[in-house]
Amino acid sequence: MYGWIWRHLPGPLFLRVIEAVVLVAGIVALLMFVVFPWAEPKLPFNNVTTE
Amino acid sequence: MPPRPPRPRPVDPPTEVIPRIEDHYDDDYYDDDDDYDEEEKDAPPSDSLARKAVRGVGEALITLGLVVLLFVVYEVYVTDLLSAGKQEDATAALDSEWSSNVVTPPPADPNRQSKLNLIEGKAFAKMYIPVFGNDWKFSVVEGTTDKHLEIGPGHYKDTAQPGEPGNFSIAGHRVGKGAPFNDLDLLRSCDAVVVQTQTQWFVYRVLPMSSEVAGWASNPKSKEAACAGVAPLSTTLGDAYAKTVGQEIVLPTKGEVIAPVPHQVNGTVPPEKQARLLTLTTCHPRFSDKQRLIVHAIETKSYPVADGFAPPEMTEG
Repeated sequence: MYGWIWRHLPGPLFLRVIEAVVLVAGIVALLMFVVFPWAEPKLPFNNVTTE
Repeated sequence: MPPRPPRPRPVDPPTEVIPRIEDHYDDDYYDDDDDYDEEEKDAPPSDSLARKAVRGVGEALITLGLVVLLFVVYEVYVTDLLSAGKQEDATAALDSEWSSNVVTPPPADPNRQSKLNLIEGKAFAKMYIPVFGNDWKFSVVEGTTDKHLEIGPGHYKDTAQPGEPGNFSIAGHRVGKGAPFNDLDLLRSCDAVVVQTQTQWFVYRVLPMSSEVAGWASNPKSKEAACAGVAPLSTTLGDAYAKTVGQEIVLPTKGEVIAPVPHQVNGTVPPEKQARLLTLTTCHPRFSDKQRLIVHAIETKSYPVADGFAPPEMTEG
């Protein structure tokens, strides 16, 4: 997977490094701001109220 | 003593010359066998399907592990940052509301207080726990859904308002989201919890713990100034309050801890005879929602809000 992505990034080495960093940052942002806020209430960690 | 003559060294056996073994393997011999290629040849091995599958699974597992780690970072640190902004906004809104509209001072009779107009998701009071340090302050919002609790501690709808007879109940996160109630388990009997509304300060004090109820009168702690007005409720208000102690750990289904008289769902105590309680709820143990940590406190004092005035209890701890 990672090798495949690396091989398919266009451009010379320094450009590819920049592209990879941008890609990782984008995925982390997607997780932090979309996926985790959606998933969190479904997980049994942080319910504080009584029913 | 003259130096000893050096001992004769053992004669080295003549070096045995091992004849070089001719490498008679044909390099092409192993070409179609991946296992032997790796060290012997410079060219990368041609990827078989099985190799690709194993590598794919391995990379997927590593990725999942990283995602889980990232989730922990999110839960413990990032939600703090997000909630801090929301708490700040709520506090700013509350401050501007308090400073903009002029209110009549509260009536002298404590039984006749004007009701606050509570709007869901909006802050209506400020909360201080001096033993946690003077930087521990949160604006309390109305409502206890996930969205409300992201902003700060949330007031259970339909429970009493600050200073009212009954049970002013607040839920708060223990981990992440600002973690207002992270240290709730450290509260001891007689510790002050101060609540400020637009017009009044209310000082609540944590009730004696269940282990302190028996023998509270002979306990030297009960003579301390901080414990004035604090006594096991069973001794002052009767058996209806026998189960209301400073701290309890209950199952999440125990909604009766926030009843006007805790643990009494079919209330037999008329409202005017009910104690003015404060109940804080959070999850327990930390990082889990198996149980709930409950802290009960009773109002011991109230002051009108005045410019430049802060209750003396605020400097405790």
